[in-house]
Amino acid sequence: MIREITIGQYYPGKSWLHKLDPRMKLILTLAVIVVIFICKNFFSLGVIALTAVLAAAVSKVPAKMILKSLKPIVIILVFTAVLNIFYTAGGDVYFEWWKIQITEKGVNTAIFTMVRIVSLVVISSLLTYTTTPTMLTDGLERILSPLKVFKIKVHTLAMMMTLALRFIPTLIEEIDRIMNAQKARGADLETGSIIQRAKALIPIFIPLMVSSFRRAYELAFAMTCRCYTGGDGRTRMKQMKLALRDFAALAAVVVITGGIIVLNHFFEAVL
Amino acid sequence: MSEKIIEFNNVSFVYDIDDEEDQAQSVPALFGIDLEINKGEFVAVLGHNGSGKSTLAKLCNAIYEPTSGSVTVKGIQATDEDKADEIRRIVGMVFQNPDNQIVATIVEDDVAFGPENLGVEPKEIRRRVDEALKAVNMYDLRHREPYKLSGGQKQRVAIAGVIAMQTECIVLDEPTAMLDPMGRAEVMQTVKRLNKELGITVVLVTHFMDEAVQADRVVVMDSGKIVMQGTPREIFSQAEALRSYGLDVPQSTDLCHLLGIQKSVLTVDECVDEIAALLGGAQ
Amino acid sequence: MTHAIEIKNLTHYYSKGTVQQVAAIDNVSLTIEKGELVGIIGHTGSGKSTLISHFNGLLKPDSGQVLVDGVDIHKDKETLRNTRFKVGLCFQYPEYQLFEETVFKDIAFGPKNMKLSDNEVKERVMKAAAFAGVKGEHLNKSPFDLSGGEKRRAAIAGVLAMEPQIVIFDEPAAGLDPKGRKDLVELIANYRRQTGSTVIIVSHSMEDIASMADRVIVMNNASVAMQGTVDEVYSRGDELRSMGLNVPEITEIFSRLRARGIDVPANIYTVADGVEAIKNLTSGRCSE
Repeated sequence: MIREITIGQYYPGKSWLHKLDPRMKLILTLAVIVVIFICKNFFSLGVIALTAVLAAAVSKVPAKMILKSLKPIVIILVFTAVLNIFYTAGGDVYFEWWKIQITEKGVNTAIFTMVRIVSLVVISSLLTYTTTPTMLTDGLERILSPLKVFKIKVHTLAMMMTLALRFIPTLIEEIDRIMNAQKARGADLETGSIIQRAKALIPIFIPLMVSSFRRAYELAFAMTCRCYTGGDGRTRMKQMKLALRDFAALAAVVVITGGIIVLNHFFEAVL
Repeated sequence: MSEKIIEFNNVSFVYDIDDEEDQAQSVPALFGIDLEINKGEFVAVLGHNGSGKSTLAKLCNAIYEPTSGSVTVKGIQATDEDKADEIRRIVGMVFQNPDNQIVATIVEDDVAFGPENLGVEPKEIRRRVDEALKAVNMYDLRHREPYKLSGGQKQRVAIAGVIAMQTECIVLDEPTAMLDPMGRAEVMQTVKRLNKELGITVVLVTHFMDEAVQADRVVVMDSGKIVMQGTPREIFSQAEALRSYGLDVPQSTDLCHLLGIQKSVLTVDECVDEIAALLGGAQ
Repeated sequence: MTHAIEIKNLTHYYSKGTVQQVAAIDNVSLTIEKGELVGIIGHTGSGKSTLISHFNGLLKPDSGQVLVDGVDIHKDKETLRNTRFKVGLCFQYPEYQLFEETVFKDIAFGPKNMKLSDNEVKERVMKAAAFAGVKGEHLNKSPFDLSGGEKRRAAIAGVLAMEPQIVIFDEPAAGLDPKGRKDLVELIANYRRQTGSTVIIVSHSMEDIASMADRVIVMNNASVAMQGTVDEVYSRGDELRSMGLNVPEITEIFSRLRARGIDVPANIYTVADGVEAIKNLTSGRCSE
């Protein structure tokens, strides 16, 4: 039974964003996130927010999916808004009732922080929407490979990540199978106290562990047979080459950063 | 005289395991094995579960080392640790569990794994991968994730992964044991084609008679020893002996044997011919 | 007379509510009678594994009903839970579900979940172990110290220990060598003989089904394509082939003999029957 198991949020496509080199995407995403926190006023933040919207449009990922990525943080947004509106004071007072005050500064800070959080989430989501987990792992491995000098086993870590990504769907199916087999013998995974339910997981957990060890053992044999001896001396079939569009993206981010610094300087800070 | 790819000389193998009380135990698995695999052959190693056939398979490419005797691959001693990689470039292996051989997240990346380990140049890897996938009829699915494949498809990917390393010989350890009939047929077709068209030496470890029947030579194992060896016709004409070793014969062979037909029969067509003749003669 | 199992217009979807919605089982109705041994065959993906998961309530129908002993198993939680014990389901490669410290404890898992007394549990474990051929000395060992074949027997015992009225086996001989297969077929036949339970076997092995089943149900593309006795179903070789199935080699031999105009019986599914049929022909002719 083949199920649609999606790890990460990859949304297949051929947009410009999809085609960017994963290494460049990782670095630029990190850079943009840092820039989001440098923004001090609505103008500079506005530029970033605009960038996020433009990037989303370029990616051709449906708006519905982008909005979906915001669902988990709705609570944080509301919480932040409430905190700021009611507890940050300064400037004109818009509303007053007993001890509760809603001030200009409160509202401004609330909006500012919310826009900042939303931009952050949209930019990060765009990374995972346009880059497969495999490409992310590969990109990360290549970026970090100079760290080999410090005896950090970059390749081994990347290999572990790749194997994890490869086996997660397989393990999910196996857990399902084991659960069904134990349920068929009357295992009750739904009722009872937390302790009872935890105990009820033993008949799932142990077979899974045993099978995972066996799997690892067999996999090690198979990898040895294919002459795997670690990262040294390995070549890669898929080469990553930076193209014009990667440099264009880099240039765009540099310009935006420059613009933000200028805007920060010339306009009054919100926070 | 044909070139010998793998040669076993009086090989014995003993497993050292810990029993329930964590006492070291020696479990003998192979006794005095003498075996030659010649270039271009398709050899089936037949035996019931526990006969030692899987152990034999793992000795073919230096995964295990013989406890006594010698295993040589094209003249290289399997005990020579420095040469282990060289041996594995000559003899590749495909295992029973289709899932526990695939390491990458998409098919073509997994087939590339072997050549990548060998330090092959990227463009050449790409060429080999495409060729290997086409040889096993999986080229169209090269971007697919492994968990979306059927058992037969996964095994074909595993075989492609070995072909991409350009090994001269492939040892398959019960590759169809966990597959459905369609998967088994796919794998057998692929293996036969590789042997006949690409000249790859094949050692197929199995307990299925209908697979052993397709080999050039059949080696029967029981209790860690080779007990019978010969062409499929020679082997399957000895039904009682095979049964005593926990094996069986194809139904065609069995039927003709029980009817007293002297000629050795392996396939449905031969069986039908012989019985028609038998009945024709009796009229 | 109530049926052991009755399925009424059962439909089950994969990926329900999405664009990829597809029927794993499409409006299937069938009955299983008490005491019979039914074989279910079909290509991979035909729906047979999904179907049997409905028999013991592991899956809930998207529409339709599942009745065991005349009662809708999804009526309430308690009925559903009891169905697990009435309808025992032994999955493919059941040895992968073993987890307890000892084989005895693992076999006892089912009966213990039925809240039986310690004595009753022990009795059932010993009985089930005997049926499944689990050796006495293995009972106190860890299941992980057993060989593959022994593990499978222990796992099967674990299902039989619930003493279900209906036992379902999904590919019970998967991965076994010829002797293992023979032993397993005997195990099931023996169990059925001694307990009179209803048995359902899902298998790819046409030979095994031919030697054991009273009735055969053929699944194809989420529906029941045909059903009937072994004779009725296996005689439709061309239809079976078009569904990706094959008849046993022996049946194929006799079918080709008939195609050559030789008057041999059509319903030959085992080698023994085949030998007898030919001998009858030759002796019949000699005596003329």
